[in-house]
Amino acid sequence: MRNVGIIGIGYTPVFVSKRKDVNIAEMISEAVEDCFANTGLGPDDIDAMVFGNMHTFEGVNMPHLWAADYIASLGKPVMRIATGGTTGMSAIHAAYYHIASGLHDVVMVVCFEKQSEGDSQVGLMGIVTPEIMAMLQAGIDISGSSGMGALAGGSAGAISFQASSYLARSGAGIEHIDGMAALERRNAAKNPYAHLKDANATAESVARTALISYPIRFGHICPTSDGATVAILASEEKAAELADGAAWIHGLANCASDASAGNILEGVITDPAEQMPCQLAAKQAFERAGIKDPKKEIDCVEIYNGFAHQTLMFLEKLGMCEVGEAHKLLDAGELEINGRCPVNASGGVVSTNAIGTSAMNRVTECALQILGQAGEHQVEKDVHKALSHGWGGLMQYVTITVLADKPRKG
Amino acid sequence: MEAPAENFFTPVVPLDFVYNYRVGPYIERYLRGFKDKKILGSKCPGCGKVVVPARMYCGPCNRRMEELVEVSQEGSLENYTIGHVILEKGAIKPAKGPYMLGLINLDGTDSLLLGRVEGVSVAAAKPGLRVKAVWKEELDGDFKDLDHFEPV
Ligand SMILES: [Zn+2]
Repeated sequence: MRNVGIIGIGYTPVFVSKRKDVNIAEMISEAVEDCFANTGLGPDDIDAMVFGNMHTFEGVNMPHLWAADYIASLGKPVMRIATGGTTGMSAIHAAYYHIASGLHDVVMVVCFEKQSEGDSQVGLMGIVTPEIMAMLQAGIDISGSSGMGALAGGSAGAISFQASSYLARSGAGIEHIDGMAALERRNAAKNPYAHLKDANATAESVARTALISYPIRFGHICPTSDGATVAILASEEKAAELADGAAWIHGLANCASDASAGNILEGVITDPAEQMPCQLAAKQAFERAGIKDPKKEIDCVEIYNGFAHQTLMFLEKLGMCEVGEAHKLLDAGELEINGRCPVNASGGVVSTNAIGTSAMNRVTECALQILGQAGEHQVEKDVHKALSHGWGGLMQYVTITVLADKPRKG
Repeated sequence: MEAPAENFFTPVVPLDFVYNYRVGPYIERYLRGFKDKKILGSKCPGCGKVVVPARMYCGPCNRRMEELVEVSQEGSLENYTIGHVILEKGAIKPAKGPYMLGLINLDGTDSLLLGRVEGVSVAAAKPGLRVKAVWKEELDGDFKDLDHFEPV
């Protein structure tokens, strides 16, 4: 397979609750224009397009077709990807397949969400309710996703089982979720494209926010954002011709478990904090990337964390530390932007969540760290290899992308 | 195993899907134009083409269209169909009578505008027929202000 690198990134000027001044297509075009401006490339340089947004949230499922004028896709091959929360990273993976296979040389990925134009909780329930009803009829265990219907707060209701189990298994306390959320809000304050920013956030200030569903507080939860992200990926040959540098994809993988969001892969007791797909996908991606010890070889991490406990939980599942160790790294300051294992220097999904972009931004943020272009939220240490993680589906689907500063050998 | 025939499960999903799509600055100005019985298009700085309704991007040129221009209210019927049924809350029902929907190329523009066409018999309908815009009596700055087209 051919090497593939990310050679350009574009964002909408802001990620905010409500972009009242533009329509969907106009908002997306801002990120496309930003990417072209950053790279000096134009529509003629692009061979094919991959587009992504979440099912149901704004109710638009074919914007890649009707907004063609606005994403410079007229006359080009184009496909839409929708895998749930992981959509943005699945779109990056699709572009990777396009290029690694030799079919195309330069592919543009365009992802967006304009959550203010729909109702996210209704959108989520609109997906989950028919899904679990059909699953029920097929005799499938729905215990994982049913929490969304059974508890108030949609995904926050469902996620509380996961957070509760994580705390019980890891020995971490709710104060660690508070501390993790505070760290990410502070990082977000350094990122011009982040939504919820608080330069002065502390575990104590987060602890003062209301409990939604134990152990999840309001301050642990992602916002709903409007925004778009664009990336241009290229083959090694084209990257040398078109760009000054690139962040190279060394390994990628994805994996889903059974719909109980548990561990049928491992055993019989449903535990939404087990996240076997994450462990399996990470293992596969590391193998492909030739990484033997991620603790030593990965310089920074971007984790998909709609809820702040997930940063800690997934650090363990990804093999970035031992089980039960993540909250100790937090206490030791090692997860900070200047720490030994900087995580979500961007502020993470918990600070910015235009869903179609959320898993994609984990990749683009790792790419910016590798290229040294993250600006004020550039991590202190040198970044040679970075790990990005996406999570979603029915809370049991994970995508992984490993990036590096040099093309992969062999 | 014997194939079952009769078992259904019919969940009722108690959700209201409410979408509020922002129209953006171009359609905002297009609809404001309706209040003054004006039809606004946007002009591409690349190819010079004018499209109605006004919109931000010219796809073939990949250029932003900054200039809005008032266009003619007369044009030619380029394509048409005659409806005999209507859709009411998702159900197809017979229409009160046949009605014509046309795609109209307003003079000086390079696009087609969908509109109801009145006063043209089925026998007289043909591409190239000259038509003009007819406005509602009370204008609200809404798409419905441009009520229909009729022969010049
Ligand atoms: Zn043009």
